[in-house]
Amino acid sequence: MHRSFLLILLSLSSFVYTQEKIICTGTVKSNEDGETIIGAKIFLPELSIGAVTNQYGFYSISIPKGAHKIEFTATGKESMSKIVNFQADTTINIELMIPATDMKEVIVNAKKSENVTSANMGQMELQIAEIKKLPAFMGEVDPIKAIQMLPGVSSVSEGSQGFYVRGGGPDQNLVLLDDAVVYNASHLFGFFSVFNSDAVKSVNLTKGGMPANFGGRLSSVLEVNMIEGSKKDFHVRGGLGVISSRLEVDGPLKKDKGSFMISGRRTYVDLLMKAFIPKKSPFHGSSYYFYDLNFKANYQLSERDHIYLSGYFGKDEFKFGNKKDNFFVNMPWQNGLAVLKWTHLFGRKLFMDVVTTYTHYKFAFNTEQDEIQFKSSTSINDIGTKIGFSYFPNNSRHVIKFGVQYTYHIFNPSSISAKQDTVDFITGNSQNLYSHETGLYILDEWNITENFKINAGLRYSTFTHTGKFTRIIKGNISQPDSTIYYKPNQVVAFYHGLEPRLSMRYLLPDKSSLKAGFSYNYQYIHLASLSAVSMPTDIWHPSTDIAKPQKGWQAALGYFKNFLDDMLETSVEVYYKRMDNLIEFKEGSFPTDNINDNTDNLLVFGKGWSYGIEFFIKKTRGKFTGWIGYTLAKTDRKFNDLNEGKVFPAKYDRRHDLSLVANYDINKRWSIGGGFVFASGNTMTLPMSWYMQNQDLLFEYGERNSTRMAPYHRLDLSVTLYDKEFKEKRDPATGEMIQKKKRFRSNWVLSVYNVYSRSNPLFLYIDNEGSFEKGDFQVKVKQVSLFPIIPTITWNFEF
Amino acid sequence: MMKKTVSTIILFILIMISITSCSKEVKIDIPGYKEQLVVDGNITTGMPPIVILSKSKDIYSPTSLDAFLSGFVKDASVFVSDGTNEYPLTLLCSNDLPPGTEDLVAGFLGITPEQLSLYNVCAYTSLNSAIWGQVGKNYKLRIQHEGKEYTGSTALLTPVSLDSLWWKEDNKVPGFGYSYGRLTDNGGTWDAYNWEVKRINQINGKPIDSNFKAVFNSAFDDEFFNGKTFDFSYENPLNIDDKEIDKKERGFFKYGDTVVVKFSKIDKGTYDFLFSKMAQSMSNGNPFASPINVKTNLKGGCLGVWAGYSPIYDTLICN
Repeated sequence: MHRSFLLILLSLSSFVYTQEKIICTGTVKSNEDGETIIGAKIFLPELSIGAVTNQYGFYSISIPKGAHKIEFTATGKESMSKIVNFQADTTINIELMIPATDMKEVIVNAKKSENVTSANMGQMELQIAEIKKLPAFMGEVDPIKAIQMLPGVSSVSEGSQGFYVRGGGPDQNLVLLDDAVVYNASHLFGFFSVFNSDAVKSVNLTKGGMPANFGGRLSSVLEVNMIEGSKKDFHVRGGLGVISSRLEVDGPLKKDKGSFMISGRRTYVDLLMKAFIPKKSPFHGSSYYFYDLNFKANYQLSERDHIYLSGYFGKDEFKFGNKKDNFFVNMPWQNGLAVLKWTHLFGRKLFMDVVTTYTHYKFAFNTEQDEIQFKSSTSINDIGTKIGFSYFPNNSRHVIKFGVQYTYHIFNPSSISAKQDTVDFITGNSQNLYSHETGLYILDEWNITENFKINAGLRYSTFTHTGKFTRIIKGNISQPDSTIYYKPNQVVAFYHGLEPRLSMRYLLPDKSSLKAGFSYNYQYIHLASLSAVSMPTDIWHPSTDIAKPQKGWQAALGYFKNFLDDMLETSVEVYYKRMDNLIEFKEGSFPTDNINDNTDNLLVFGKGWSYGIEFFIKKTRGKFTGWIGYTLAKTDRKFNDLNEGKVFPAKYDRRHDLSLVANYDINKRWSIGGGFVFASGNTMTLPMSWYMQNQDLLFEYGERNSTRMAPYHRLDLSVTLYDKEFKEKRDPATGEMIQKKKRFRSNWVLSVYNVYSRSNPLFLYIDNEGSFEKGDFQVKVKQVSLFPIIPTITWNFEF
Repeated sequence: MMKKTVSTIILFILIMISITSCSKEVKIDIPGYKEQLVVDGNITTGMPPIVILSKSKDIYSPTSLDAFLSGFVKDASVFVSDGTNEYPLTLLCSNDLPPGTEDLVAGFLGITPEQLSLYNVCAYTSLNSAIWGQVGKNYKLRIQHEGKEYTGSTALLTPVSLDSLWWKEDNKVPGFGYSYGRLTDNGGTWDAYNWEVKRINQINGKPIDSNFKAVFNSAFDDEFFNGKTFDFSYENPLNIDDKEIDKKERGFFKYGDTVVVKFSKIDKGTYDFLFSKMAQSMSNGNPFASPINVKTNLKGGCLGVWAGYSPIYDTLICN
């Protein structure tokens, strides 16, 4: 049996090889603005072979000589097909049209049936148009909030940007904006993301079976791609919202050759505060704002070369002052990214992209009270380069990708200084941690047979922590602290590992598919969090001689089936995930413990695991669209130095997580959207008992995370009113009334967050009231909730 | 002081949270309660050892003085050793006190004579002055209760004097001010201190305060000023919650007050207990801190402390 299977395989491949082949390459773009289309499909129905455009809109496919029908399809575009007599290597660049509005039936979904046919598991893509239809918190359309509505993904806490994928921590997600790593993707205490929807083209989340070209994180990859701007004509887009306004301008640098996009957003709370806090008030000077700027430009140098430059800069500044108490706080934080890319096509089979990235992140906290000044900050600077190749061999059953990646990290986990008048406190020298991270990968997307497809890859990664570095060895009362000094570039610690990745799909006769995936990952940087809720004060920390890299593996199995001509996509996935060298702060750690010490001396290390089952149903077209995702999961942790070494649930261990997203287009002008989430409450550690010492009430905390907060549920709704698409105009030639498409378009969006004003738990605490002596003393558990019902209105426009 | 600043930051963040959020009481299951022995023991130079034993209570059980006082453990065997000899402590309850000793005992127990007369307070102590605190000695505590043994040890270190002590009138509240101290820390060694005060100006023929009271963050170590000369200020802990006086005067010493400062050198175990106790009261309800259990220096699975205080006493006249 086994032998005959091999024979069939061999004969199949020899059949394929015997035919003479040519290679057809090209790019697929949108006819409207010349923007390249990611994930457009190229398909030759007679031969049942096809290709998909990469993130630059490029494709390459080898085709047997002869006349064949070739089809191009992309989501939201009219598909196009032509018959071509392929006799020599050819280039076919295609621009797909946006269909006229009354021709909705011809709009195709290029991703149609892809969830069934692709070999990738746990990959989900959301188009920005889809995200914009969801109700938006405070009117700010937010790709991360949309991601949090997908199965297997949960939010950290109310309004937060952090997300957990399949029981992994918020630091285990690789968040990329145009290939540059974003460390803290949030604004304003995490309520808004740094991703301005005007500048975003699409978001793609891989929550399992990470392909080998990605690494450095255990749980997921979130790729956010910026729009490139129109290569045809100029556009302006914008919006006026309750808390912020935005403006985006894009247009050609040279028609059909290059384009640019620049987009900005700023909040105006500070202007309101300035107006409302009188000069005499002790709080005068308190303010908050954030802004962000996105920029992207691209230019086609030749048929084979294209360059891209993109950047992001965002800054938050929070100031609080109370003159009466002589107390001032200032909390700035900022993210900056720059990306330079060059793509080149060697011949017709080898596509190369070279990417250089720079990432900057800084958070500072400065206070002044009376004569005491206290300053603390944490920062990251990364410089990285990636060179990636995609090789399209003659045999169209393979796409081989390989490449190298390098990042130089400079972390400053904690820099603290304090002084009183002229006395400087001893807070130790702020230490930069220098490290080099490299990755080398190869992967093959291989259609073994019509029904059986695999994506197999191998990644080798290294991480080197180098000097200069001073390791502090904490002494005790009788023994003072000692140090070990490492010279610049001296190796402090070196780690490396092989990361095998495999995912496969088998098509069943009824057009459903079975998929399986396995991935092994190393993660060399950690997020250390002192708090029960995720905060910008969390510290990113690289692996050192003490903090070992996290490593983990995940295995998943799924069944995918579509119904009603792919209108309904459904899937069930089960997964098991194992994680080692997870970090936490020691029990009873205090922020000041960082002073005069290496942060990693305060850490403890442990392991974790999670498993679950995810159900997903999505209606992809029609007036009514949306999805239902449900996850049943469990995730635990075990640290020798925490909870007496006993297993405890992770703080975001959620047994049930349900999300419902729906959108209904009533007519061309009105559309309503809704989102509902239900999730088991997060866990917390609360005191199990109280006792007295010297007339003070003290608490004894029980087992870690043994208390579960009330479930989280919330309904959001939105209504969008679009202006009329056409205006009537009298034709001067004929005198007849004609309809003319308006260039200036606008819409109003009314969003209501938390419609039934549920008080969802953010955290719980123990409060005491009354007097001990009077006997009316009471200990109470109090729940803190953040947002009640919040209606907002936003006006958006474009021309 | 650094830690004061950190506490202010945390306070500030709490204020921020309270502005943007709302809170309500909830009933939620907190599993895992187990009853534990609570030891509140101390030894001070020139004073007898005092050990009060009680039990920890379920978080939802009534919290009142009655509940606490009914929970004294009276059936334990308690011993203190000075490294050479071990002495048994005897149980002394306020109901059985010889007349005239109430004020003295109240002072030892750190409560007012009124409280002592209202409730039957019980403590283990020794009237044998051989086991009263002496500088330079290490004291071991041993408790036997319900078949279990609990032990701990504390040292009475060489006390350190303050360079100076003064009072400074506050700019905004004339006639009121904070206490200030200047300290030269011993370089090269790890040192920790504890600050307690009482006012001794007479009212109706009696001092205002009968006992020393520790300020909120009374214990500090020399992490930030090892070997340096350093100024610091402390509020008045005795009237900070006094609702009978004007709000703006709370936490201040008044012009004319005579204040005795008990400035103790403490060992690591005592410091860790006192500091984590302060940290706990700051971290409870603070989502930015992880839960902090108060660190005990006792072994055997009980809660509490066996604290040693080696004080100098200094008098501050507020003028």
